[in-house]
Amino acid sequence: MDNLATDHWYDFRDLANLSRVILEGIDKVAPYELAYIVAPIIGFVAAFVIFVLPSQLFVGVYGERRIIGRIQSRRGPNRVGPFGLLQPVADALKLLQKEALTPKVADRTLMWAAPVFFVAPAVLLFAVIPFGPRMVFADVPAGLIFFIAVSGLPVLAAFIAGWSSNNKYSLYGAMRIVAMSVSYEVPLVLMLLCVVVFTNTMSLPGIVWFQKDVDLWLIFMQPLAFVVYFIAVSAELNRTPTDIAEAESEIVAGYLTEYSGMKWGLFYGMDIGYALAASAFAATIFLGGWSMWGLEQWVPPWVIFIAKTHLFYMVFIWTRGTLPRLRIDQLMGFAWKFLLPLAVVNLFLVSLERLWWSESDLGGGIVFVIAAINVPVSAVAVYLWARFLGYKPERVPTRPRLAREAGGYVPLEEPVIGGGK
Amino acid sequence: MSEIVQSEPFVMNIGPQHPSTHGVFRVKATVDGERVIDAEMVIGYLHRSMEKLAEERTYTQNIPFTDRTDYLSSMSNNLGYCLAVEKLAGIEVPPRGQAIRVIMAELQRLASHCMGAGAFANDTGAWQTPIMWFMREREKILDIFEMTSGARLTCNYMRIGGVAFELPEGFEEEVRALIGPLRQTIADGEGLLSGNEIFLARARNVAVIPPDMAVNASLSGPMLRGSGVAWDIRKADPYCGYEQYDFDIPIGYQGDAYDRFIVRLEEMRQSLRIVEQALDGLPGGPHSTEVPLALRPPAGEAYARIESPRGELGYYLVSDEGPSPHRFHIRPPSLINLSVLKEMTVGGSIADAIVALGSIDIVVGEIDR
Amino acid sequence: MTRWWTGEELGEAAERLVPGSVSHTTETACVLKAEHALEALRALRDDPDTNFQHLSNLCGVDQWDRFEVVYHLQSLERNQMACAKVEAHDRENASVASVVDIWQGAWIQESETYDLFGIEFEGHPNLQRILLWDGYPGHPLRKDFLAMPGGLQPGLNEFAGTSAKPEPPVRPVT
Repeated sequence: MDNLATDHWYDFRDLANLSRVILEGIDKVAPYELAYIVAPIIGFVAAFVIFVLPSQLFVGVYGERRIIGRIQSRRGPNRVGPFGLLQPVADALKLLQKEALTPKVADRTLMWAAPVFFVAPAVLLFAVIPFGPRMVFADVPAGLIFFIAVSGLPVLAAFIAGWSSNNKYSLYGAMRIVAMSVSYEVPLVLMLLCVVVFTNTMSLPGIVWFQKDVDLWLIFMQPLAFVVYFIAVSAELNRTPTDIAEAESEIVAGYLTEYSGMKWGLFYGMDIGYALAASAFAATIFLGGWSMWGLEQWVPPWVIFIAKTHLFYMVFIWTRGTLPRLRIDQLMGFAWKFLLPLAVVNLFLVSLERLWWSESDLGGGIVFVIAAINVPVSAVAVYLWARFLGYKPERVPTRPRLAREAGGYVPLEEPVIGGGK
Repeated sequence: MSEIVQSEPFVMNIGPQHPSTHGVFRVKATVDGERVIDAEMVIGYLHRSMEKLAEERTYTQNIPFTDRTDYLSSMSNNLGYCLAVEKLAGIEVPPRGQAIRVIMAELQRLASHCMGAGAFANDTGAWQTPIMWFMREREKILDIFEMTSGARLTCNYMRIGGVAFELPEGFEEEVRALIGPLRQTIADGEGLLSGNEIFLARARNVAVIPPDMAVNASLSGPMLRGSGVAWDIRKADPYCGYEQYDFDIPIGYQGDAYDRFIVRLEEMRQSLRIVEQALDGLPGGPHSTEVPLALRPPAGEAYARIESPRGELGYYLVSDEGPSPHRFHIRPPSLINLSVLKEMTVGGSIADAIVALGSIDIVVGEIDR
Repeated sequence: MTRWWTGEELGEAAERLVPGSVSHTTETACVLKAEHALEALRALRDDPDTNFQHLSNLCGVDQWDRFEVVYHLQSLERNQMACAKVEAHDRENASVASVVDIWQGAWIQESETYDLFGIEFEGHPNLQRILLWDGYPGHPLRKDFLAMPGGLQPGLNEFAGTSAKPEPPVRPVT
């Protein structure tokens, strides 16, 4: 943003200027305390209008349903409005009209409070996300810590929901989501620690500026961290293949079983909100945020950022549409036996690299060397650790054996025609 | 440790209203945490006492009942019943009628396995995608049924002595147009699931039924074949001229849920082969023989069985020379395959129990009748 | 092709394995004596010539004066099939030995037969009504259970258990 005319309120590439001009104008004509009230309102409205609302309603719900529809060879919503674009609105209206049932045996207070507890952190999460060079609502120095802390809260709300419903399926969902969250927070935080060690900052805008300065995204410098982040966050968000807390085929809807109407709608909408927040976080940390190798000079950076976010979110939708669900013991084992040791190894490796970088005084170009080292090292580490744990890629027959004649049991050793290849 | 952390078993009802029971069916599972330590099935929610009702109706009037037992494979049920009556009364079916029956039974098997394989994938958590792919093809088969018999699910197409109507115009083209895309869909479903690590982790070594137990527990159909027992009534006791067609019996390796899934997919391929051969060699002539409306078979009994999509579907009829059967018994493959549910689920987790249940491919209308 | 045994053939085989076990034979089935039925069926399963390892079907038949329990036995390896029957003459306390020990899969079919016919199966591990609820009046597939009004085979005119029970119309079987 340096070599082009900036700092004008009409520079739509960074809407921060607009809010700054408004605030300065207020400052001139009104007592300065008013600015403290107006500023958060502008920030909130901007974040909501630009990002949360359209993304969540139109891209989150509509896009997810359309894309999954394409994956499943059906059309998806296409009746309400042009191309079915108003389907999310219709859904929300329908949910508002529906009766929000509360079972007699449920804990009424907690059951009503749980959706509220669930919604609040989703809005808070967007506070620290930098949409553009200066478009961050709260530039917290420890934004990463803030993000981790706040993103742990919905688990509590989900547990409250499951417990207060007084239903066995709900209880199962609640226990599962807590177990999942406890397990997957550990590798997640360790991996983010790698990022912090490498970039030497905890502020999210700082991480983006780091990536812009070295002209390389962290996904290349920290491939293992990215993969672990993706797995862990999809486990925390209850997305397929790790949606065991709401596993539809097993425990009906998990902690949401007893919810209906807009109480359920809040959970559903905010699930997508969390998925988008996690995508935005991934775009910030691993995909370079609003920076795009100079493209941000010509395209508004927040458009680049939203595009990256939805690209990441698209991967969530894709996995949801294609992969089966894992069992809880397999998921737990994966977190503790596989991801955690890898995270520790990665942290060690990254610390060494950072030390080398700061000691040797080689300049910014060294990140390309580090990326060239880390990509193969990560792949080899994953492979070796899998072999160490006893996982062998085995060729499982995908076709059954074929027998010509009916008879009794055919032993495995007996050759039959066209046997499994 | 165990003194501090204590767990207490409790009963969890999987069903009667549950996404994975495929109907109104309940598993009373006693669970200890995630582990199932006892499973008891509760059935009868859909009991309509068809066997009693059938004793009050003539032989022909009973055909619509058979539609409504296994509502996912009504053609097969029609066929089994008509074979039993024909055996009882000694009626011969003309070759064209037999060939049409074979085509219909195989299309029904394809439609039913589309549902079975897709629902199994759904039970493992492959959220809706494979079932949607398969349902798309199933719709085409049901359209063909509608074209032929006027109904999609409860076809009521077979008659004693043949089939109800001649095939409609354009039937052969429709079926031939179906075969290619269906093969592709089977390959797609296989590509999506069979080599998938997560699917393998969920379905391999789950709900294993060893072959001796499978035989001893009277299992049939893909459940028996998945355990490695080469048994197919179309081969062992051919009816409707199945001996003319060239096809193989797919058999599994170790009898787990995965084997049953791949056996179902391979059966679909073999069914396509049979349909092609039957279309190629479709004989001319009448599609049905004349049978008196008030059929009075000689006193005696007959047990006819066919290979329905779910297994050995038997009809046992006892006649006392009256116009209606003295005893009308259906041997429901779903019910008998379900009888090993406890052996399949106990010791596994809840998720495994769902996979085990999905791999049986039950139809509750047939279990309760 | 499956070889369907006639009643004679099965009777000979059963008589060879367990002497004195056959009551009489018909064209299609062999009626076993109730007291030897279990022994004979087990022998039929284990003998290599008969090898009936697969119990294809088990059901009850009400023949007005007696209940028949019909076993359709099947051998997968030898591809043959036979029909054995066991009769229970006491209508009120009909009882037949359970074959669950021989064929594990029989339990669910026996439960169903118990439910719909009221035939007790001695030795069944968990004999209870499975299709109908406990306390259901009567057993529907008995011929003297309520039949449809104007039905071809008249049964009761009232629901069983709601009034004094009329005598079951006994009709001789030809």
